[in-house]
Amino acid sequence: MSREVTREELEQRIFDIVREGVLSVDDAFTKESNLIEAGLDSLALTQLMLAIEESTGVWVDESLLTEETLESVVTLSALVHQVLE
Amino acid sequence: MPHSRNPEPLPLTGADCFLRAFEAEVRRTAKASHLSQLVLRLGPGFDGEAFRRLIDEVSRTNPIVRSPIRRRAVVGAPLYRLDLAAPAPGVRIEFHPAPAPRESASAPPLGAIPEEFFRRLNDRFDARRGKLLCFDVVPRGGAHPGTDIAMTWQHMLLDGTGSEFFVEHLAACSADPSREREIPITRAEGGASSPAVAELPGASGVRGRMAQTWHNYMQAMAAKPPASLAGPLRVVRQDLRYDELRLEGASGTAAMERAKKMAGFLTPMLFFLAVSLRAHQAVADRRGTSPASWVVPLPVNLRPKGSQREVFRTHVSLLWFQVTPEQTRDLAGLIEVLKAQRLAAIRNKLVEAGVAAMDFARYAPARVYSHMARRTFGGELASFFFAYTAEFAVAAESLCGAAILDAFHAPSVPASPGSALVFCLRGGDLDVVHVHQRGAVEDAELGVMRAQILHDLAGA
Repeated sequence: MSREVTREELEQRIFDIVREGVLSVDDAFTKESNLIEAGLDSLALTQLMLAIEESTGVWVDESLLTEETLESVVTLSALVHQVLE
Repeated sequence: MPHSRNPEPLPLTGADCFLRAFEAEVRRTAKASHLSQLVLRLGPGFDGEAFRRLIDEVSRTNPIVRSPIRRRAVVGAPLYRLDLAAPAPGVRIEFHPAPAPRESASAPPLGAIPEEFFRRLNDRFDARRGKLLCFDVVPRGGAHPGTDIAMTWQHMLLDGTGSEFFVEHLAACSADPSREREIPITRAEGGASSPAVAELPGASGVRGRMAQTWHNYMQAMAAKPPASLAGPLRVVRQDLRYDELRLEGASGTAAMERAKKMAGFLTPMLFFLAVSLRAHQAVADRRGTSPASWVVPLPVNLRPKGSQREVFRTHVSLLWFQVTPEQTRDLAGLIEVLKAQRLAAIRNKLVEAGVAAMDFARYAPARVYSHMARRTFGGELASFFFAYTAEFAVAAESLCGAAILDAFHAPSVPASPGSALVFCLRGGDLDVVHVHQRGAVEDAELGVMRAQILHDLAGA
């Protein structure tokens, strides 16, 4: 993926991955919704990170995944964006 | 997906059939059943009559808990024959007298586990007649008076997560008499046995290749075959007991924090798996033996994430880990090995391959699965069983008037490997439950395991 991808584009891409491939969520789920409360568990998290890798070419080291970075699509996107840079 | 209200037969999931294979093996070789058990240790105030009414009502409205598991004919997948359910209530509840006090230095803080619970875990249930679920209720005296309850079931009926959902349902119903007793069952579409996060492709050829991938995965491990503490399968009567090691308050919280720090925020189970491997290695060291490898399965919850709360039937796949004795010497290094194996397995879609392989087992004779697995590993099945459950039944605070003080799982383990370690959290406290077959691990070896576990959990 190009390094010029904006954070907003990244957020949308990760949001789509979460909604379409990882979690079974309804329309109330937003980019600010808490991922853990929405059902993200260890398997879903790894599947999400693999999908992000496939989409962006970047593997985010699991040691960077914390309660804070996994709070929402927004916080996770910020982390991925940081790694991309 | 529609919820069923009709007593139509319900297919066993592939994972159910995987467990059914071990039910057949245990019946044949150990004169027992492949059961699972969870223990609720309650405070004072338990209303036994209200509990009996509650179980009767839940049993009446959920025929699966009293349904025979049978095939319709010689061929075809086995079914929960809801249409042939035993008359309600059909779920046994046994109220036992208070046991005589027992002194034991290793007893858990709430006192010794009732002997009735061990007897029940070694009981023989008849799934073909719908004998799937049973409760034992024992008053508890001593310094912490209250009631202990064991819920024991045919392992197919509920998996670990489902059993906790079931307890939460019982707790909610006991708090709210108007709550709907029936638990919906989601019937999968398109002929699949159950809804799952890993939906299988429709083409049988694709599924066959996935199952072959799984087979190759297991075969590759046979190059360094595992050895359990009990040794290969032999005919021996099942005689399981378990010990509960409980880390309360700050020590439990510290162990959990250490697990997250060393293994990852959402993957603390790898820390606990590493601790378990090192505990078994400590026994092997004491014996002066050295297995070619340790091979351990890790159950993976397959429920679609975020919306479904499937209670009944087993919705898991298995990830397998293989490490050498040398790799167990350093805890941090061992965790890195486990993390790498887990990631590689998920990346290579082995979770899905496991589902495909187990799905094929639905159509095979019950014994085939266990026979194939043991043949692969020279009579062994695994080095030991392992499970980690996150916070136990979060929504259940009390049951029939009594607070739930402690709760943990105690699943049975076949005489080979003869040892299972289960880690459960409840209110920040950590329960480590070691289920073992009599004779597989000597008393002195249990002490060695316990010391090694405490050492690794505390980081001393």
